[in-house]
Amino acid sequence: MKRMRLWVVGMLIVALLIGACAPPPSQPPAVEAPAAEAPAAEEAAPTEPTPTATPIVAEAGAGATRLIYWNGLTGSDGVTMVEMVQKFTEENPDVSVRVEMMPWGTYFDKLLTSLVSGSPPDLFLLHEFEIPQFAGQGVLADMSDYYDDHGGPVPVSDIYPQVLKALELDGARYGVPLDIHGWGLWYNKDLFVEAGLDPETCPATAEEFVAAARKLTKDANGKRAGEEGFDPTQIEQWGTAVSWQKPTTLSTMWQFGGDWSDRAGNATLTSDAVKKAVQFWYDLIYVEHVAPPPAGFDTWQTMAAGRLGMLPEGSWFLNFANDNEINWGVCPFPKIGDEHVTWISSHVIYTPPTLAGEKLEAAKRLISFLTEQGALWATSGQPPARISQFESLTPDRYLSAIVLGTSFQEIGRYDFAHPCIQQVIDQGYMPEFDAIYNNLKTVEQGLADANARVQDILDRCR
Amino acid sequence: MATELSTTQGHTAHQHRRTWRTPMYTLTNYLFILPFLILFVTFVAGPIFYSFWISLHDWKILAREQPFIGLANYINLMRDGIWWIALRNSLYFAFLTSIINTIFALVVAMLVNAPIRGRDFFRFVFYAPVVLSVAAMGIIMSWMMNTQFGIINYFLVWLGLPPVRWLADPNLVIPSLSLATVWWGFGFPMVIYLAGLQGIPDHLYEAARIDGANTWQTIRHITIPLMMPSIFFVFVTQLIAHFQVFGQPYIMTGGGGPGRSSYTVIIYLYQTAWRYFLMGYGAAIAVALALVILFFTLIQFRIFGRRSVIEY
Repeated sequence: MKRMRLWVVGMLIVALLIGACAPPPSQPPAVEAPAAEAPAAEEAAPTEPTPTATPIVAEAGAGATRLIYWNGLTGSDGVTMVEMVQKFTEENPDVSVRVEMMPWGTYFDKLLTSLVSGSPPDLFLLHEFEIPQFAGQGVLADMSDYYDDHGGPVPVSDIYPQVLKALELDGARYGVPLDIHGWGLWYNKDLFVEAGLDPETCPATAEEFVAAARKLTKDANGKRAGEEGFDPTQIEQWGTAVSWQKPTTLSTMWQFGGDWSDRAGNATLTSDAVKKAVQFWYDLIYVEHVAPPPAGFDTWQTMAAGRLGMLPEGSWFLNFANDNEINWGVCPFPKIGDEHVTWISSHVIYTPPTLAGEKLEAAKRLISFLTEQGALWATSGQPPARISQFESLTPDRYLSAIVLGTSFQEIGRYDFAHPCIQQVIDQGYMPEFDAIYNNLKTVEQGLADANARVQDILDRCR
Repeated sequence: MATELSTTQGHTAHQHRRTWRTPMYTLTNYLFILPFLILFVTFVAGPIFYSFWISLHDWKILAREQPFIGLANYINLMRDGIWWIALRNSLYFAFLTSIINTIFALVVAMLVNAPIRGRDFFRFVFYAPVVLSVAAMGIIMSWMMNTQFGIINYFLVWLGLPPVRWLADPNLVIPSLSLATVWWGFGFPMVIYLAGLQGIPDHLYEAARIDGANTWQTIRHITIPLMMPSIFFVFVTQLIAHFQVFGQPYIMTGGGGPGRSSYTVIIYLYQTAWRYFLMGYGAAIAVALALVILFFTLIQFRIFGRRSVIEY
């Protein structure tokens, strides 16, 4: 019994020591090296891929007016954002900024809680489609006075009209936009060459896309999809993937003329157009065998490993592709349906309505500065929301931003900004799309269930 | 004679009858429990009743008024398909994990209770994962169980076996989460069992050996019967804890996938209350889950409670 007691006490001490050495759960990890130092690491080891680490928390400047800036840029675009903020504090030494980045899912929960509890950050980043959800609860400030038509510094005429329109609600203008990001098609040029495809030409239609996907899909014996003897149970290289199901499916359903609601309170996920769109991607997985079931499949890592030919992905993929030395090409999301459309969104900077005094003045300066850094922001692949900045981009440095940005302006569509949009996505259609693409439900059953769930949410969200 | 029987407090029943109504005597008792009572009412009992009160309203935290809607949230919940999916998944996970954990921890405890070389080292190694946070455990296990790049599948393929879609197969996802949870948490019941095992007098085993009992017979007729209070305690506490599973599916399967195959009640509660701020409906989910847990706990008390305590 005594040995037992000694053993338990020993274990307790070890547990306490480990617990004491680790940071408390609520405390952010230690500040990592500033983003500006990342290129130096690449120079030191030019032969090794050196993924650019996104600092979770970064401090910029040492000024007396201290701003807290939250965003969900945990991808490699976060590095560019930190660089922009550091540039601001160099030019504005009276201001210091603490940039805190967290995954979008956690970010929304934390942001809402902070807004409700009355201790929000001084600046935060959201998307345009979240405006009705947040503004409807009175936690966003009307930021019309940031624009030159209300005496502010941001020129209205220099912002793409569709972006500006997306920020307006009930006569107010919420936030200042950074970019128009959206959905495109990235591909591996080396795999294109190996498959006998032209690496400078993108598949633009459904037929071309499926044909390319077949050529790019290879089994363990080197047989391509569609060839005699091709073994769909032993695929080593995939032609494509559904990737993030929301933009892939929304883009495709819009192309066929469908949507998740009629924007008058009715769910419309059982329409023929939506069925055609979902069926197209389902068939790529289970009929053509050129795309994997999504569960457990890591698209980015498979792309980095050179085992995925074409990836529907966002404009933010650029830094990852470069960090992993993918010989990439990029083109607009293909026209699969009747009309050429792709999903777009915008990162928008906000301040809470409670911000005042010195901090408000400093936040205005920072927001104004960030919106003028569209060209620097575009190095992360995100096309600027400002017309003059987009037109100043050159193909040698901003190829993906130009290719995708042009397609976003021509065929981009914002999602319907409903006050319960997050619930519609999380609890309405996304789990059902996931069930369909993982073959847990038929297309008809999954869409019927999604429709019922979305309708239920719309009915209760009044 | 009856009035002289000793009570658990060391008083005689006669003294007890004489003094229990005395105000000063009662006041002293209440003062002793007052510090705990204040904390209990403030942080446990109060929030429980307040949650029930919230569940009777269309309680949106940012709204100015919270309209009273009676049992509407509970009626909606009974018609809510997601609730039933989440409840089924939670029940499946809780029973599977609790049963495996209860049996596996007992087996390991008996092994590390035996006089084997390096016994303390094994006790330490088996207990060590308990000190991990659920986030650390979840990230480690999701990488290990990754279909494409996971080390478990790497070894399976190396052995000539097909890779397993641990967290990607809807039929395997909950057993996989359960497996990860058992690895993470069996050290704690193991310690409880070790304490229980060391409380069994050696003379019982000696007598059994003299009577010619083999190892299985001593386990069957001595160890297990005498360990029943510990087994009951472990199973009840494990079941209550695992009904409230959240971190494992939230981290390892992206919040309940594939589809809703690992979507649990607490994830539903968390999203409803803290992502959409529908506090009334969230509170109804919480109260309903508490009732479900209470129901299964009472059943266990009925089953295990009938067994008479073996004294030795």
